[in-house]
Amino acid sequence: MRVGTHRRQTRWLWLFCAVMTIPLLALVHLSTGPQTITAGTVVEALTAFDPRSFPHQVLMNIRLPRLLGALMCGASLAMAGLLLQSLLRNPLGEPHILGMNAGASLAIVVSATLPAALQPVGSARPLLAAIGGGALFLLVFLIASAGRVGLTMTKLVFCGIALSALASALVSAILILDQDTLEAVRLWLVGDLAGVSRSGIGAALPVMAAAALAAVLIAPRLDAMTLGDTAATGLGVPVRSTRIIGLCAAAALSGVAVSVAGPIGFIGLIVPGVARKLSGGAHLAALAFAAAAGAALLLAADIVARTVLPSREIATGIMTALVGAPVFLSFVARTIK
Amino acid sequence: MKTVGERKNHLRFEFGPVALRFHRGRAVLFACLAVALALSAIAALATGSGQAGLGEVLAYLSEPGRTAEPSLSVIGDLRLPRVAMALACGAMLGLAGAALQTLTRNGLADPGLLGVREGASLAVISLMLAFPGAPLMARPIAGMAGGLCVALVALAIARSLSRMRFILVGIGISWFLSAVLAVILTAADVDRIQAAMIWMAGSLAGTQREMLPIAFVSLAIGGGVLAVTARAADASLLGEKAAIGLGVWMGGLRMASLSAPILMTAAAVSCAGSLGFVGLVAPHLARLLLGGGQGMLLAGSAVFGAGLVLTADTIGRTLFAPLQIPAGIVLAVIGVSLLAILIWRRRNEM
Repeated sequence: MRVGTHRRQTRWLWLFCAVMTIPLLALVHLSTGPQTITAGTVVEALTAFDPRSFPHQVLMNIRLPRLLGALMCGASLAMAGLLLQSLLRNPLGEPHILGMNAGASLAIVVSATLPAALQPVGSARPLLAAIGGGALFLLVFLIASAGRVGLTMTKLVFCGIALSALASALVSAILILDQDTLEAVRLWLVGDLAGVSRSGIGAALPVMAAAALAAVLIAPRLDAMTLGDTAATGLGVPVRSTRIIGLCAAAALSGVAVSVAGPIGFIGLIVPGVARKLSGGAHLAALAFAAAAGAALLLAADIVARTVLPSREIATGIMTALVGAPVFLSFVARTIK
Repeated sequence: MKTVGERKNHLRFEFGPVALRFHRGRAVLFACLAVALALSAIAALATGSGQAGLGEVLAYLSEPGRTAEPSLSVIGDLRLPRVAMALACGAMLGLAGAALQTLTRNGLADPGLLGVREGASLAVISLMLAFPGAPLMARPIAGMAGGLCVALVALAIARSLSRMRFILVGIGISWFLSAVLAVILTAADVDRIQAAMIWMAGSLAGTQREMLPIAFVSLAIGGGVLAVTARAADASLLGEKAAIGLGVWMGGLRMASLSAPILMTAAAVSCAGSLGFVGLVAPHLARLLLGGGQGMLLAGSAVFGAGLVLTADTIGRTLFAPLQIPAGIVLAVIGVSLLAILIWRRRNEM
């Protein structure tokens, strides 16, 4: 039993470390930007806000929403990736690869072309993104699971890439034909946290909370399902409904991220593998760890994106692709024959 | 070129080192397709904004160089280079796709999916940004170097040509390279990006007359190399041992059928930016409608590739006129539908 206790202790130690890096990164994140603001001023703005001070205004109105957006998107994408990987039993399960980001983008761009009276307001936008992402993923899933061998890694990746390309082509066509929509979504579309708005975060928060709650509730069932569908059914786990709830939650989580920050990829590919290893396999701990690590990773990526080039910002989604693509390559080189 | 009647229903063409044999029915079908392509090229010349229809096209073609009249100069100066470039790039991409699919024995191989296109784009963009004054000729050369490097890296990671892994590695590399490309474009001076952005969009709208010779010379070289090795490629499909037994120099064949597609992809990318899915779709159409050996596959892929790009460009510039949809977008919509069908048909073996 000593070994078990020891393992459990290190598990929570890792989680503690991940959570503790977030305030540190957040402080760096808040103080970096076109104008560096000292850590002291940051703390001052947070504790004693002075509306006449310019740095305080910048912090509260521009940098704090961006920080919150990064935390939300990182946590959502990593949890969505973890759910997808568990449910599909596939280490390449990732919202971006499986077409969820492209589907959500298409849904949002299509909705932006509608007349003003029909525009989605409030939480309808993240929900719409989730529905778009979920619909495209459903199509990917259906095509990929056809055939005698069922769902394979190769088929899943190919279908995801193919349908994502189709959705992106449609998005480009709409944007070329409709100048107003292009203006409205231009910044958002490259996957950049610079476009995060307070209202966007407020609208996404309830959707994210509901999806995360659903993920936490089905976590024990997911543990049982790692033994295989038959064994899980024997243990009294409703496999089919768990799978549907889990996939819906994953679609909602990635839809939230897309609606806030645009299509940011690969967080869900990098984090869950590490999360599962360090958390010892239990899904509840893995979810918590993935959320913390995803938030920390996206914060770090955003800090690098804002500072690595003098006087210019790289879109956050590009930074995550620079790290994520090599991770994908190493997966492929190791696991695919 | 001499034509030797050999077997019943077969035509044999000998032209220097190239010796190709075609089924008579297939040859007739191919000739019909070629005529259809020529007719659609004339139709493409006759459509578009501006007062220049079929009569003007025929007038121009019967007496080229008569560009004094404005309606004829529209055809000669604007539409003809664009149509010629569409044909050349389409044929190159179709040929490249066909050669790669035979080489990797995988119907999903495409210069775009293998990362060769992004490698070439990256090299060309770096050249355009670092040396804005470099001659146009330098672009395809830089593109070739970039494409070759990427293909070698993909090969080193995947360690095998004929596996699914090679294609997945190519996909991963192209993701990485497009992120690097985006970083370079972010870091570059704003006034230098303009040219690069126009080129990147993968549209034939910015066709430059001076690039036409480059495109056609690359097409001739790449197509020639592939035609010379077509018989050997046929034999290689029997398996490596059988091919060696038949006297095929496998190393040389592999080199030829990897370098010719890279040359042609790089040339197409430097001339018209990234046009996706042509190399994937054209060989399948050729296989479906023409069948036959590697020689027929190559010829058919070239014709279908040229037709696809021409059609996509014509649709893109006329459907929503005066707005233009880049050919690349139209091609993606056509290409993905076909990719989905291909995956469906191979659902039991992937």
